[in-house]
Amino acid sequence: MKKFLFHIGCFVLPLLVLAYPADLVLSKYLKQSHPYSDEYSVWNAIYEGKLNAEILVYGSSTAWVQVNPQSIADSLHRRVYNLGMDGHNFQLQYLRHKQVLKYNPPPKLIIQTLDALTLQRRPDLFNQDQFLPYMLFNKDLKNATANYKGYKPVDFQVPLVRYYGKQKAIRTAAELTLPTIGEPPVRVLGFQAQNKVWNNDLSAARNLMEKYTVQMDSASIQLFDHYLQECREKHLQLVFHYSPEFIVGQRFISNREDVIALYEKFSRKYGIPFYNYSTDPLTRDRDNYYNGLHLNKQGASKLTSKLIHDLQQEVSLNRCFN
Amino acid sequence: MLFNSLQFAFFLPVIFLLYWYATRQSVRLQNYLMLAASYFFYACWDYRFLGLLIFSTLLDYFTAIQMANSTRQNQKRFWFWLSIAINLGFLGVFKYYNFFAASFADGLSLLGLKANPATLQVILPVGISFYTFHGLSYVIDIYNNKIKPERNFVDYALFVSFFPLLVAGPIERATHLLPQIQQPRVFDYTKAVDGLRQILWGLFKKVVIADNCAVIANAVFDGSANYPGSAHVIGAVFFAFQIYCDFSGYSDIAIGTARLFGIELLRNFSYPYFSRNIAEFWRRWHISLSSWFRDYLYIPLGGSKGSTWRKIRNVFIIFIVSGFWHGANWTFIVWGLLNALFIIPSVIARTNRNNLDVAASGKTFPSFGELASMIGTFGLTVFAWIFFRAESLGHAGRYLAKIFSRSIFDQPNLQKTDVLLTTSFFILCLVLLEWRGRANQHALADVGTKWRRPVRWVFYYGLLMAICVFAGSNQQFIYFQF
Repeated sequence: MKKFLFHIGCFVLPLLVLAYPADLVLSKYLKQSHPYSDEYSVWNAIYEGKLNAEILVYGSSTAWVQVNPQSIADSLHRRVYNLGMDGHNFQLQYLRHKQVLKYNPPPKLIIQTLDALTLQRRPDLFNQDQFLPYMLFNKDLKNATANYKGYKPVDFQVPLVRYYGKQKAIRTAAELTLPTIGEPPVRVLGFQAQNKVWNNDLSAARNLMEKYTVQMDSASIQLFDHYLQECREKHLQLVFHYSPEFIVGQRFISNREDVIALYEKFSRKYGIPFYNYSTDPLTRDRDNYYNGLHLNKQGASKLTSKLIHDLQQEVSLNRCFN
Repeated sequence: MLFNSLQFAFFLPVIFLLYWYATRQSVRLQNYLMLAASYFFYACWDYRFLGLLIFSTLLDYFTAIQMANSTRQNQKRFWFWLSIAINLGFLGVFKYYNFFAASFADGLSLLGLKANPATLQVILPVGISFYTFHGLSYVIDIYNNKIKPERNFVDYALFVSFFPLLVAGPIERATHLLPQIQQPRVFDYTKAVDGLRQILWGLFKKVVIADNCAVIANAVFDGSANYPGSAHVIGAVFFAFQIYCDFSGYSDIAIGTARLFGIELLRNFSYPYFSRNIAEFWRRWHISLSSWFRDYLYIPLGGSKGSTWRKIRNVFIIFIVSGFWHGANWTFIVWGLLNALFIIPSVIARTNRNNLDVAASGKTFPSFGELASMIGTFGLTVFAWIFFRAESLGHAGRYLAKIFSRSIFDQPNLQKTDVLLTTSFFILCLVLLEWRGRANQHALADVGTKWRRPVRWVFYYGLLMAICVFAGSNQQFIYFQF
């Protein structure tokens, strides 16, 4: 029996010793890749404290593909970074916010992009591999993702466990160890314009159901309220910006007005400027969109210009930069 | 708790250490520990059905003693049939009720009558077909005076519930397992190491091959309309490897785990895809179930004695029942029937007992004839697996129509090329390693004696790495649904 346990120990020991360094190496190379809407480049900037921005754009994909930080920076002469997170609602946008404050100097202004789905909860951890290189011993990530189907506590505590069966991630990291030229990042300052034309996402959705009703999540609403309060306490200036859906897409969401009313309520409660472009002419031109919810490159450029214009008019903003 | 889960990776070492350190002074204590561990293991699946397992155990334990105590044959027969009826009743309710109700309604509708029989929203208790067959074999053996009833409830309960075999076999016999449970076990280094090796090999088969084959097979079977005939052939072949690696992988882990506790379980697979005819295939596939049906159904029906027609009838009965055991669907029955049709020519020609040894025994490569017969047999089994995997007979029919269409010559156009290629590579590794070790209990059985330690360990690390890196998306073991 002793001999058996000794041999088991000898066999397992190198695995235990090598697990942590292997995890570090794997994570290091994986961070240099650009899959999952290039979320790694944003996470890297956050965790390495390299955001270096006075203005941050928060939101989901409606921030990521629609608000061009470079244009804002050029016009307002401020450093801007877009933290739009593809596919995720406020629960994980808030995680990003917390990590920003933990590893970076606080921004002076947050442009909070809102859309119909911001306060709806999704059960799955979309693009879950985007968290892989940052997970080990990361309590914030563990707590924020605990209620999602995806990772188990052990994934955050034991090196390499979370890489089990992650063929794609491991292959990506392995390829990057080779002396080849890596692909350039697809996001610039966190933004990625979508050079796309109208597709049939909306008609496919309408074939599935007549109308879509947003299920507002009370926990997300509470968290959002808490976040706004926290920003006020920390003197972080906010503006709300409601992402303009294509006019036909607006009609597809049955309780859209209720959702916007809730945002307006928060706007009044905390005195936050609210830019709602829902009735803007750009929402009537399908050429500005690639689906019912997302503007393409042309639309994003128009929207950003409007946003810049409104920001320039905002009297309170001058105070926060002085 | 799946064998390929992290929970099991914690559970097994804890029980192992308690078994050999805390309770080794007494076999009784060891059995208590193993029974508690087995019930915990089962409760991790669904604690609600633990009561059913315990009831089934108590029923067979009690009726067996009553049979032994019976002074009159009528009395004995009563207890025997009571046990059989309740055991099969459970199976009938949980597994077959909805099938019979729906088939009854379908039958009436063919006659122009309409019936809406009540269907039950029942969940199939995991492992019910396996532990019921454990109990049945025990009760039948007692009735036939082959064994004496076990008076120690813990020992008997452990025979039924021993966690490595509880949910998907091998289906054990009281004559084989109970004596091992009653006797003190001594730790055997060689057996324990070989057990670990078999677990590793089983994990590799399940996690790397079966779960990745499932990606391809599921894509083709579930999206049949989108693929040409050539992809359907690939889908069927991948399903053949999926089901083999899934179930034989499970059996390897179960047998290897039992060996860690000093217990030898029945062998369940013996390189079935190297069979040279269907009769040989059935001597090598799910051996514990085939031999169960042979001993408790085929032989009592007369077996291969009597007229040719009687033999043919018996073959059909055993394969239909075997198909039905797998699930309440006509697809399984047709799968059984097909296998019966495949095997009958050899029964008639009395060649079904040929090929009792391994293929190309004592040689490195098979002869051309052997190779051709192995490929032919594999082709027949793949054909039958299509029915086994299909959702319905219509689905199977459409699947076969695609295979036998002109599109069989088209490009397969399977989307997941990377999975297809890596899995094909691992299937090739499997075939080569199994061919190399085909004379042994499992493919890696002789590695311990033939390979030097550094080579061996590098190989084990390689397998572990393949398991960690190439693990497919976690699939349930297929046989859990039976």
